[in-house]
Amino acid sequence: MSNIYEIPPGVRDLLPHQARWKRQMEDRLAELFSRWGYEEVLTPTFEYYSSLTEQGSGLDEELLYKFLDRNGRIMALRPDMTTPIARMVSSRMRGEPLPLRLFYLANVFRYEKTHAGRQREFFQAGVELLGAKGPKADAEVLNLAVAALETAGLKDFRIGVGQVEATKALLGELDRESSTSFKEAIASKDFVQLEILLEKSRVSARERDILVEVAMSRGGVSDLEQLLDVVENRDAYNALSELVEIFKILQYQGLEEKVFFDLGILRDFDYYTGIVFEGYVPNLGFPVCGGGRYDNLLEKFGYPLAATGFAVGLERVMLALREPESDREQGYLLLGSFPKVLDRAGQLRRQGYRVVVCYEQLPRGEAEKLAAAKGLTLLVEEGEQ
Amino acid sequence: MTEDWLTVALPKGKLGRQALEIVNQTSLAVSGMEIDSRKLYWEFPEKQVRFLICRPTDIPVYVEYGAADLGIVGKDTIVEAGADVFELVDLKFGECKFVVAVPGDQVATDGEYDLNRLNLGRIASKFPNVARRFFQQAGLQVEVIKLHGNIELAPKVGLADAIVDIVSTGRTLKENDLVAVQDIFRATARLIANRVSYRMKYAVIKQVVAECKQTVGSGGILSD
Repeated sequence: MSNIYEIPPGVRDLLPHQARWKRQMEDRLAELFSRWGYEEVLTPTFEYYSSLTEQGSGLDEELLYKFLDRNGRIMALRPDMTTPIARMVSSRMRGEPLPLRLFYLANVFRYEKTHAGRQREFFQAGVELLGAKGPKADAEVLNLAVAALETAGLKDFRIGVGQVEATKALLGELDRESSTSFKEAIASKDFVQLEILLEKSRVSARERDILVEVAMSRGGVSDLEQLLDVVENRDAYNALSELVEIFKILQYQGLEEKVFFDLGILRDFDYYTGIVFEGYVPNLGFPVCGGGRYDNLLEKFGYPLAATGFAVGLERVMLALREPESDREQGYLLLGSFPKVLDRAGQLRRQGYRVVVCYEQLPRGEAEKLAAAKGLTLLVEEGEQ
Repeated sequence: MTEDWLTVALPKGKLGRQALEIVNQTSLAVSGMEIDSRKLYWEFPEKQVRFLICRPTDIPVYVEYGAADLGIVGKDTIVEAGADVFELVDLKFGECKFVVAVPGDQVATDGEYDLNRLNLGRIASKFPNVARRFFQQAGLQVEVIKLHGNIELAPKVGLADAIVDIVSTGRTLKENDLVAVQDIFRATARLIANRVSYRMKYAVIKQVVAECKQTVGSGGILSD
């Protein structure tokens, strides 16, 4: 006989130890974001399908959970927080002084093939910096991403930074069709396909070198500066110069070990217009955070505003950490005569302790066992049994 | 799993023996490892490398999840698995191609066959994803039946109108009176990497890539 009621693939229950772990992580991240001057916001779990898609998140519409309301309008569960926040800021926060610094802790929904680390409902903690342009703003968001992963408890992570504008500009020199196939090959690091494309297409030796450079190059400031020496395309040159500036700011803050550039990082969302980045940890096969600059998204909602942001995937961080840090606060299991124990419990709770009252008169041995199982200290009220 | 170690997944069987030959010409070279023994897990602490011997179809899975950093497996398997892995080097062995094959009596004497005849037909394959995608792109509506082996049998007994399979010599097709009427794509073995490992263990992976490329030689890239 089975008492197991199934839940759909891609969603999960959080039992007390997991929920506590998630809550602690969220609390720490919320505090970090606040210290950087970011304010918490929340948007609806579902909204009109058209607000989530027509503005060009570029997310495959098959990934959305859709349903009809009773008036026949199409609704969708939010697949990320960036688009809803762009919608909210454009329609509700136009008068606010810029730049805006916003953060969120929210669950989002995508109809993905389910995997470890790829759930259909998952939790994100993220920030959006709106109305700020340029390398200083990008560096702030990257710096905050590093701080967030550290705060979440990760140690050996690294953040890879791409620049879609530079990559697009370099590929833009090719004809449209080959530019798309090159983009796909570079993004998926399909070097075999890349070589086939290079053989087939009639690119010049110089173009060939640049494409290989885009696909392969990575590293820090000095590698970027080397790349700048060979790039002639003006837009790409400007975009990469900005990237150098960002890296110099991060270097100044002692973060050069944490970041590297890789122009092959393009991310799935079409709305990115500048830097894009992903956080990696050893032995986890997928990124733990992702983000970038998206200067055109808010304009689509009628409020042209430059923006950068990122989100940390909480389940992925939990997978990478494997074990929660055991920082459960101290607590007591109270045993004693009723209703006197209630007074003692109230007193201890006011002092900030976690208190569980045991209403049954258990023998001491059993009470101790129960207390140990709950991670509590047994406290027997004086003079009572 | 330790961070400094490199984990490489190799396929069982002939493909694996060829893969091992290539591995042994790189800085990962090891002695004493056998592909076809019962031991599926080999550790070489002096090189900080471990090898997993898996079923070929499982290799993209190990690599996609990051249980293995690198893997060697046929392009056919990668495509069928639809795995999100980085494909680094064409190792140029284990060549085969995907074809659509139909019973010989369906084909005109000049070898002509109109693929449109398979519209609304049934296609048997060990590679349902490859088959489905091919017919979708060809604009044909077919029912794909997944079988686990000996699919040559399916057309004979009326289970399917055609099959999609990989052929290397074409002998099996001939023996079962089947004729390949359409090439889908060619496949060879590839060196694949997990997308995070590629970035976290870049230095060592880059070296292995360069060594593999040198081993298989440049030029002679197969076109699809």
